[in-house]
Amino acid sequence: MNELDNGPRADGRRQLPLLRPADAEARPSRFKRSGVRSRHLRAHILVAGWAGLALLAATAQSTLPVARWLAVHLFLLGAATTAIVVWTEHFAVAMLHAKLPDQRWSAVRLAGVNLAVAGVLTGVWAELPALTVAACAGLVTAVAAHLFVLVRLGRGALGGRLAPIAAYYRTGTAALIVGAVLGGLLATGAAGAHTHTGLRLAHIHVTLFGWIGLPVLGTLFMLWPTVLGVRMHEATTATARRVLVCAGGGLAVAVTGLAADLRWAAVAGLAAYAAGLALALRLLVATVRRGRGPVSVAAAWSLAASAAWLAAGVAFDLVLLATRSESAAQDGVDALVPLILFGFVAQVLVGALTYLLPVVLSSGPKERAGLRAVLERGWAPRLAALDLAVALLVLPLPGPAATAGTVLAAASALAFLALVVAVLGHRSRPDEPSRTPVLLGTAAAVVVTVLAVLVAGSGGTGGGSDVAAGQPGGGVATTTRTVAVSLGNMRITPSRIEVAEGTALRLDVTNRDAQRHDLKIDGGPATALLSDGQSRTLDLGTITADRKGWCTVPGHRAAGMTLDIVVKGGTGSGATTGTDNTAGMDGMNGMNGMHSGSQGRGDGSTATAPDLAADFSHGWQPRSAALPAAPAATVHKVELHAMRRTVEVAPGVEQEMWTFGGTAPGPTLRGRVGDVFEVTLVNDDPTMGHGIDFHAGSLAPDKPMRTIQPGERLVYRFRAARSGAWLYHCSTMPMLQHIGNGMYGAVIIDPPGLAKAGHEYVLVSSELFLGTPGSTAQVAKMRQNTPDAWMFNGVAAQYDKAPLSVRAGERVRFWVVAAGPNDGIAFHIVGTVFDTVYKEGAYLLRPGGTGGSQALDLSAAQGGFVETVFPEAGHYAFVDHDMRHAEAGAHGVVEVR
Amino acid sequence: MGVGLWSLVRFLHVTGAVLWVGGQLALSLVVLPLSRRTLAADDRDALAARVGRRFGILTAALFLPLQLGTGWAIAWHKGVTWASLGEPGYGRVLATKLGLFALVMLAAAAHGWAHARHRPDLARALAVASLVGSLGVVLLATALPAT
Repeated sequence: MNELDNGPRADGRRQLPLLRPADAEARPSRFKRSGVRSRHLRAHILVAGWAGLALLAATAQSTLPVARWLAVHLFLLGAATTAIVVWTEHFAVAMLHAKLPDQRWSAVRLAGVNLAVAGVLTGVWAELPALTVAACAGLVTAVAAHLFVLVRLGRGALGGRLAPIAAYYRTGTAALIVGAVLGGLLATGAAGAHTHTGLRLAHIHVTLFGWIGLPVLGTLFMLWPTVLGVRMHEATTATARRVLVCAGGGLAVAVTGLAADLRWAAVAGLAAYAAGLALALRLLVATVRRGRGPVSVAAAWSLAASAAWLAAGVAFDLVLLATRSESAAQDGVDALVPLILFGFVAQVLVGALTYLLPVVLSSGPKERAGLRAVLERGWAPRLAALDLAVALLVLPLPGPAATAGTVLAAASALAFLALVVAVLGHRSRPDEPSRTPVLLGTAAAVVVTVLAVLVAGSGGTGGGSDVAAGQPGGGVATTTRTVAVSLGNMRITPSRIEVAEGTALRLDVTNRDAQRHDLKIDGGPATALLSDGQSRTLDLGTITADRKGWCTVPGHRAAGMTLDIVVKGGTGSGATTGTDNTAGMDGMNGMNGMHSGSQGRGDGSTATAPDLAADFSHGWQPRSAALPAAPAATVHKVELHAMRRTVEVAPGVEQEMWTFGGTAPGPTLRGRVGDVFEVTLVNDDPTMGHGIDFHAGSLAPDKPMRTIQPGERLVYRFRAARSGAWLYHCSTMPMLQHIGNGMYGAVIIDPPGLAKAGHEYVLVSSELFLGTPGSTAQVAKMRQNTPDAWMFNGVAAQYDKAPLSVRAGERVRFWVVAAGPNDGIAFHIVGTVFDTVYKEGAYLLRPGGTGGSQALDLSAAQGGFVETVFPEAGHYAFVDHDMRHAEAGAHGVVEVR
Repeated sequence: MGVGLWSLVRFLHVTGAVLWVGGQLALSLVVLPLSRRTLAADDRDALAARVGRRFGILTAALFLPLQLGTGWAIAWHKGVTWASLGEPGYGRVLATKLGLFALVMLAAAAHGWAHARHRPDLARALAVASLVGSLGVVLLATALPAT
C-alpha cells in the first residue's frame, strides 16, 4: 500500500487519496495491484520513450528545420500528453471517489492517443498531409473519449472535497481538442496564410496554458501539500473553483481573441488567466508556511520551480501581447517556448514523477523508499542545471550562452530519463527478470539506428540534381539569372519564376518576416533557417525541368509558402524581377545591351512547339523556292534594307524577325564567276545597328563588314571570284542572335559550264527561335541550341503545304545553303538518288559514273547543290535527314506529275 | 524481366536476413517467454543456453558467410566501389547499413560472450540491442534503391 492511502497519519493529518481508496471496497488482490502497476509501467515507458526521442530530435534542430518542431511536439504532444492522459484519469478516479473505468478501454484510449500522436509527428515530418489530417482526427477522437470518461466519472460518483479538481482535467482536455484542431489547421494550411499568425498563437496558448497548464494547476492543489507532507489548506476547494473560472474562462477568451485577431480580448483573457494563476500560487505559498519536513524535498523544489517559471512565462507573455503587434509578439512567444518547455513542463514532470512513480510502481513502503531514492539521486545539481539552462535560454544572451543552456538542459533531462528507466526496469520480485536490460538494449539500438538513418540520408539524394556544375557539354555558355526571393507573411515572393530551359538560376533568398523561414528546392539545395533580414544565395544550376520550392517549417508549405520554377519555352522574362547577366557576351564588341529594350509580347502561343500540321493563316503565301537563272549583267547592284518584320514562320505562328529586305532569308543573289556585286546596306531598324558579311567575296572585313547605326548606309562591293553556294549574314555581334533572328541569305555563283536543268530551286536551311528577339528566354534557347523548329527558306513546313512542282524525267537541281546559326543539314530527297553533288566549290559526283549520293551534308555556313531525275509521278519528301530537324519543320514535298 | 541468376542471389540475401531477424524475433517473443512460464528454472536456463548456442552456430556458420558472400556479389554486380560508399545516396546508405550490421554482429557476439561469463543482464541488453539493431539494418536495406 502506499502512503497516500494510509488514512490518518501519526500526526493526525489526513492524507490525500491519490489512489483509489483501497479500503472503500475489498482490498485489491496482488494481481489487481500489479495490474495497476504494469499499466503505469507501460504508460511511463511510453513517456520516457517520447522524451528520449525528443532529446534526439533536439540534437538535429540546428540543421533540420523540422527537428525543432519535432523535438517540441515529441516532448509536449508525446511525453507530456501521455503522462497527462494517464494521470488525469488516475487522479479523477481518486478525487471523485469514482469507480475505476474499464482498464481495457483505458488502454485502448491511451494507445489511440499515442498512435494518433505518432501519426501526426510522422505526417508532419514526412510531409504527408493526408496522414496528418487523419491522425489529427484520431487524436481529437481519442481525447474526446478521454473527456467523455472524465465527465462520466463525475456522474454518480461520491464526489469529495477535491471534486472541483476533476473540472480542471475536463477543461484541460477540452483545450487539447481545440489545440489539436488548431494544430491540424496550421499543419495542413487549411486556414490560409492571413490567419496563420493568430491561429498559431492560439494553438500555442491553448495547448501550453490549457491542456498542460490547467491539469497541472489542478493537480498541484492536492499534490503540493502531499509532497510537502502538510494538510491541505481549508480554502482549497473554494479557491480551486475560483481559479478555474478565472484561468479557464480567461484562456477561452484569450484563445478566441488570438484566433480572431482581437488583440485586446486576448490581453484581457490572458490577464484573467494570470489572475487565476496568482490566486492559486498564493494558496500554494500559504501552504508552504505550514510545512515542517517535506516528504520529498526534490519533488517539492522541482514543483515550486516549475510553478515559478509558469508564472514568469504567463507574465512575460501578457506583457508581450499587450505591447506588441500580433506578428511581433509571435517572435517573443517563440522565445518563451524553452521557458515553458524546460522550466515549466519538464520540471513539473520531474517533480511529479519523482514523487508519484515510486507510489504507483512499488508494492510496499520499503520498495517505495528505494525507488524514490533512485529518482532523487543527484536532484540538486540536476535542478540547478535545468533552471540555469532555462535562464540561459530565455535571457537575451549571446549565442554561446544559449548553446550552453541547451547542453545543460539536455544533460539534466537525460540524467533524469536514465533514472526513470532504471526505476521502470527494476525488478519488483526477485524471481521476475529485470526489465532494465531490455529497456537499455532497446534504447541503445534505437539511438544507433536513428543516427545511422540520419547519416545515411545526409548529403542529399545524390544523382547530382542539386549540383550546379551540371552545365551542358560543348562549352555552350548558359545564361545566368539571379532572382531576388523574399520570404514572409506566409508567402514566397515571387511565387512563380519562369525561366527558359537551360538557364542557370540563382536565388537570392531573404527572410522579411518576424518568424523564421527557410527555402528548400525539391531535390536540390536548401537554405538554413533564416531569421528576419538574413539572406542566403541558392545556386540551382541549370534548369531543365520544372522545380518546386517551399518553406520546410511545419505548416508553412501548407499555408502557401511555395515556389514554382517553371521552364518556359517562349516569350520573355515575365513577371519576375530578375537581373539578366548574359555571361559570355561580355568580351564581344557591338550590341550588347541594346536588345533589352524589346519587351515580351506575352504571346502564349509561342510557349509550346508549333503545330506543324495546322494550317497557315488565310492569305499566307509561300516563299518561292524557284531560282531564276543569273541575269546577264556582270555588275549586280542591290539595295538591302535591314528591318524588322513580323512574319508567319510556322503554321499559325507569327514571329518578329530581323531581316534583310523584309524577308528571312534575304533575297537570293545569283551571278557567275567574275561578276561584281555592289550591295548597298541601309539600316532601317530604329533600335540597333546591323552589318553584312558576304562569304562569296574576299576582302578586309574592317570597313565593309562594320556595324552601321540606325539610318546609316554602307556600300559593300565584292567580286565573286569563285563559284559556290554562299551564305551572307549580318556581321554585328552577337551574331548568334542576328542570324538566329533571320539576318541571312544566299549568294549563288554558278560554276562555269553549269548544265541546264529543268528546274532549279534554292533552299536555305535555318533554325527558328520563338520569343521576343533578344529576350533572355529566346537567347538562352539559341545558346542551348534548342530551337522551336527547323525551316527551309524561313518557314517551317511551308513546302508541305505548298509543294514544289516538277515533271517526271526532268532533271532538277536543288541549291542548299545552311544558315544555321548552329545546325547544319543532311539534305535528302526520299525516293531519289542524287547523280550530281556539288559541295563547297567542288563536284563530288557527276552524272555518267556508277556512283550515287543520298544526302548533301553541310555544316553551318556551307552550301552546294544536288541534282536528280525523278523517276515517276508521286510525292517525294525532301528533308533534313537529321530526323529531329525533319520532324520539326525541315520537311517539304516535291510533287512530281 | 524473368527470374535470373541475380534474382537468385538477391533471394538468398533477403531470405538469409529474413531467417536471421525472424529467428531472433521468434526466440525473443515466443520461445523464451514461454519457456519462462512453462519450464522449471534449471530446464529453462539449459534450454536458453542450448537455443543460444545453436543460433550462434547457425549465425557464424551459415548466416554470416551467406550474407557476406551474396552481399559482396550484389555490390559487385551493382558496380559499388570503395569510393562510391562515401557518396551521398546509394553509397552512403549502403555504408551505414554495413556499419550498423557490423555493430549488430558485434552485439550478437558480445551477447554470447556475456552469457558465457554469467552476466545475464548484460547478455539480455545485448540481445535486445542486436534484435532492434537488425531491424534498423532492414530499414536501411529498404532505403536502398532497387538493384
